[in-house]
Amino acid sequence: MKLGVDEDELASCVGCGLCLPHCPTFRVTGEEALSPRGRIAAMREIHWRDAPVDGELVRIADTCVQCRGCETACPSGVPFGHLMEATREALAEDRSLVYQPWWRRLGYRALGHHRLVVAGSRALAVGQRLGLVPSTRLGLPARLPLRSPALEPSGSDVYLFTGCIMDAWQRGTHTATMGVLHAAGAGVELLGHGGSCCGALQEHAGLGKQARSLASRVMAAAAGAAPIIVNSAGCGAMLKDYGRLLGTPEAVAFSARVVDVHEWLAPRVDALPADEWRKLAGPVAVQDPCHLRHVQRSHLAVRTVLRPFVDELVELDDDGLCCGAGGAYALVHRDLATDIRHRKLASIERSGARLVVSANPGCLLHLQAAGVNVRHPMQIVASAVAPEP
Amino acid sequence: MYERDASMITVDRPAVVCFPRTAVEVQACVRAAAHHDRPVVARGAGTGLAGGAVPVASGVGGPVVITTTKMDRILSVDVEDRVAWVQPGVVNLDLTRALAGHRMHFAPDPSSQQSCTIGGNVANNSGGPHCLAYGVTSAHVLAVDVVLADGSLARLGALEADVPGYDLRGAFVGSEGTMGISTRIAVRLTPNPPAVKTMLLDFVSVDDAAGCVSGIIAAGLVPAALEMIEGKMIEAVEAFVHAGYPADAAAVLLVEVDGLPGGVAEDAAAVASVGERCGARTVRIAADETERQLLWKGRKSAFGAVARIAPNYYLHDTVVPRTRLVEVLREIYDIAARHDLLVMNVFHAGDGNLHPLLVFDAREPGVLERVHAAGDEIVGASLRAGGVLTGEHGIGLEKKAYMSQMFSADDLDAQARLRAAFDPDERMNPSKVLPAGSRCGDLQGVPEGAWV
Amino acid sequence: MTADVMRAFVNDVGESGPVTCVGGRTAWDVGGAADPAAREVRAPVGIVEHEPAEMTVRVRAGTPVDVLQRELAVGGQRVLLPSPSPDATVGGVLAVGRSDVRRLAYGPLRDVLLEARYVSADGRLIKGGGPTVKNVSGFDLCRLLVGSLGTLGFLGEVVLRTRPVPDASRWHRGDEVDPFALVAELYRPAAILWDGAAAWVLLEGRAVDVREQASVLTRHGMVEVGGPPDLPPQVSSLTPSALRALDPSATGRFVAEIGVGTVHADVGAARAALPVEVVELNRRIKDRFDPRGRLNPGRDPLLGAGAEVAIRTGGGCRLCPTRSATGSDHRRARAERRADP
Repeated sequence: MKLGVDEDELASCVGCGLCLPHCPTFRVTGEEALSPRGRIAAMREIHWRDAPVDGELVRIADTCVQCRGCETACPSGVPFGHLMEATREALAEDRSLVYQPWWRRLGYRALGHHRLVVAGSRALAVGQRLGLVPSTRLGLPARLPLRSPALEPSGSDVYLFTGCIMDAWQRGTHTATMGVLHAAGAGVELLGHGGSCCGALQEHAGLGKQARSLASRVMAAAAGAAPIIVNSAGCGAMLKDYGRLLGTPEAVAFSARVVDVHEWLAPRVDALPADEWRKLAGPVAVQDPCHLRHVQRSHLAVRTVLRPFVDELVELDDDGLCCGAGGAYALVHRDLATDIRHRKLASIERSGARLVVSANPGCLLHLQAAGVNVRHPMQIVASAVAPEP
Repeated sequence: MYERDASMITVDRPAVVCFPRTAVEVQACVRAAAHHDRPVVARGAGTGLAGGAVPVASGVGGPVVITTTKMDRILSVDVEDRVAWVQPGVVNLDLTRALAGHRMHFAPDPSSQQSCTIGGNVANNSGGPHCLAYGVTSAHVLAVDVVLADGSLARLGALEADVPGYDLRGAFVGSEGTMGISTRIAVRLTPNPPAVKTMLLDFVSVDDAAGCVSGIIAAGLVPAALEMIEGKMIEAVEAFVHAGYPADAAAVLLVEVDGLPGGVAEDAAAVASVGERCGARTVRIAADETERQLLWKGRKSAFGAVARIAPNYYLHDTVVPRTRLVEVLREIYDIAARHDLLVMNVFHAGDGNLHPLLVFDAREPGVLERVHAAGDEIVGASLRAGGVLTGEHGIGLEKKAYMSQMFSADDLDAQARLRAAFDPDERMNPSKVLPAGSRCGDLQGVPEGAWV
Repeated sequence: MTADVMRAFVNDVGESGPVTCVGGRTAWDVGGAADPAAREVRAPVGIVEHEPAEMTVRVRAGTPVDVLQRELAVGGQRVLLPSPSPDATVGGVLAVGRSDVRRLAYGPLRDVLLEARYVSADGRLIKGGGPTVKNVSGFDLCRLLVGSLGTLGFLGEVVLRTRPVPDASRWHRGDEVDPFALVAELYRPAAILWDGAAAWVLLEGRAVDVREQASVLTRHGMVEVGGPPDLPPQVSSLTPSALRALDPSATGRFVAEIGVGTVHADVGAARAALPVEVVELNRRIKDRFDPRGRLNPGRDPLLGAGAEVAIRTGGGCRLCPTRSATGSDHRRARAERRADP
């Protein structure tokens, strides 16, 4: 079976093994098959030697968190993310395999319909309060919001991309982000209709067609040339990849406008009012979302932005190893995600921090579910520069 | 995927892959293999460069691969005795990090230290830049619990200063899995030096840089590390790490001195003065820990930079007397030129451990033959200069054929006797290290992956 | 010339009959008395090559250690071999395997030997290791030979790692100091000795560092002295922390190497018996290297590890039978299960 991967990219791994410790699933299982090098070996078996695709090979592909920590570790620059996305797309398109069953596909499709997402979330929230929803077993936050105040645009200097699940469950982070952007002197516009879901989860699941269609809708919803600010590391990485995904000049131009909120703020942080007495006492640990650190590689900006507002920022000692959230991963591979998170929790414990910041909704949910006191960096900054009245 | 390590050599597929978590489980695996007359191949992270972990069939069937990656716990740390007991699957850098709070570290630091396991380090007697001053793995292993070929468990060495009898520990370390499988290892902990200075010396001629290496050693200095990067490699490294490596230099030396602050200052001054006498254009001392880390990152990611220059490369690991570095380096350039190949060097100059990389594109017809021929000549030149085959990567499958160039039949026979004392039936990692009586490995092309 | 000398040594050793290699007879009683019936041979003498910039020396095994040290000192270097008497030879101290008293800083004796050319039991000249400071080509015969008491082969010529003679080297002595605390307080001292009452410390290195570290010792009331105490003749090994429990009233006079674990005492300590697997491996190695037991009969590196386990084979090569699990296997397995949940 052909995987639709780039031949040169597939050939570029020399098998040195430097990626192994940076792969969360290898770290917790010790199994070569669940490492980047092992997964590439499996891809080569299928693509080059036409090995039959059995359940084991599907498992090898499906258990990848797609954190892309292997890419920053790879001295040969193997674009592992592309290889894995192409592989999953080929597996998903082969109807003889039951990769991505109908109910999963349906779930991913629903994310593209924002009213449905918000309504569904509200239904779950009501269910939670009636004691009808086993939140822990479903991996849901303990208390979903019933109703969040609507976001009000404040100008047209920049766009804020708000996303699907994040907008439904963590709208407070957007409120905080808008407050901070406003304090930095930028009027914030929201994306128009259809600009809610970036398509990242669909793309990672191998549902490329859904992802590309969502990408076109997002692009259409953000007309003009204003920078598109993203406060979700996963969405930001996806929006920045539209150029490659769609391959059109418009998409390339769109991707060039995308900027992570910390990247945008870092050079402007001096413009924010920072009062010594408002500084948050540390130690506060920075947990880098993989798609900020390994994909966008703009994780250092988070520190620049936070430094004036936090007394003591501390680093985790795990080289940015994934926390196991991985978009829908924590739902689909609960056991692996929990084992991976266990390492992260140990690292947080060693850091001595009682508060953790993480710039990605998935990581926030996954760590919160383990009882970690974790917040988005924008919430910290907002409480210092744009305190709620 | 368990049929190869970082050497890209493949021979046979494993029949079974085992993931033991305890010594008892390793014993069970080895006994089961013995019962079914299967060879046993131990595997850590699979970062070896000589095919040491590549399974080769013997007996009635396919090899049993025993992977130690699930045995990844640090069992105890004893600061007073300066020893830690670790399982073989513990990653080298993880151990050093875990010791940071005690201001101690595990001294062997191969360039693959972020991935490679202590069990693999023991099997290969691994080196690294800092073994110039601190010694290779054998100097840092006090005792090893080993599952022998018959499934019995023996402790080789001891925490006591000396053990009666032969140095079985010494024989086992570096035996590349042919004498047994380690299940727990007592490693020596080294106190972190109170002061460190890292210096970058740059030269407009490789000869001057190599001369400077001999000059530093001859001046009675024992730097913690003394590394050379030369030619195109500097440019590639700099483009990758932006550490301020002078891209126009013919060669640079990365020199680290450590110890007490007073002595470190004097050593640094002495290195600088040798450098200036030998024609160093500039001598730069890393101003802080960040700059120091950046310089080391450049050195340790050098081979990654090579992967970006050319699609394939082939690496040797010979050691030559330090006083003959200049002439051997020249000869290596001549050899590469004769075979119309590009050669680059990033190596442990302080102990004469060369890592010449032949850079090529395997798609070019006939290039593999030229690479092999050049490799043979490089090995020959190193041996003629009084050197040895391998300084830290091991013999494995890849360099087995060269063994008879360094050792006589009688020498090899003595080594075979030692191996037979541990494993009379040649069940543990057969066909490795010793050429005699072993079947020819299917060396497909040339090993590509490598760090230097 | 070198080849001739080595050939003569090979001929001396020959291929048959019990034979013993004599050095300075400095440690002639270690590992048991040599069989008086064995023919005596002596290793060749002389320094073959010393290139200071290489930090190695090629020397014949019969050369007295002191002679070698004097020659190396001319080039500002030394080897970390012990020198128990002026007659002690290079080959002798390597075969006996006792480390120099400066082991704390420079490591054990076995790390000094880089290449060995030795005569095997069947009268062949064998090379193990290699002449460079770094080498992993093939199995490590050098470390096997160190401390083997000549029972596996007779050293003829060796390559040793040399080190620069330090700028400064000073012994200190004090009565009121905790020597165990000094291991952590000082940075890589060359030696710390303790006789149960007084402590001696050797500082070596750059003069500036030695001065700085000496000031630490002065604070502990230590004063500079000419050298270490005399070392009692019997040597035994403990872990470094176990040295704390040494009691002069029980052991007689002793000098312990703090941080290392070596104890020099008037009365040798009894050793715990070695596990049967280890004894078996020792026996198999001896059988493979010297099936007829002709090399240094009577000497046994395991002596003291339990009389019943001594390696004194005289018969033909046993074919190393594969054993099934023993009681100790099962005991150990149970302990292992407890330790490795």
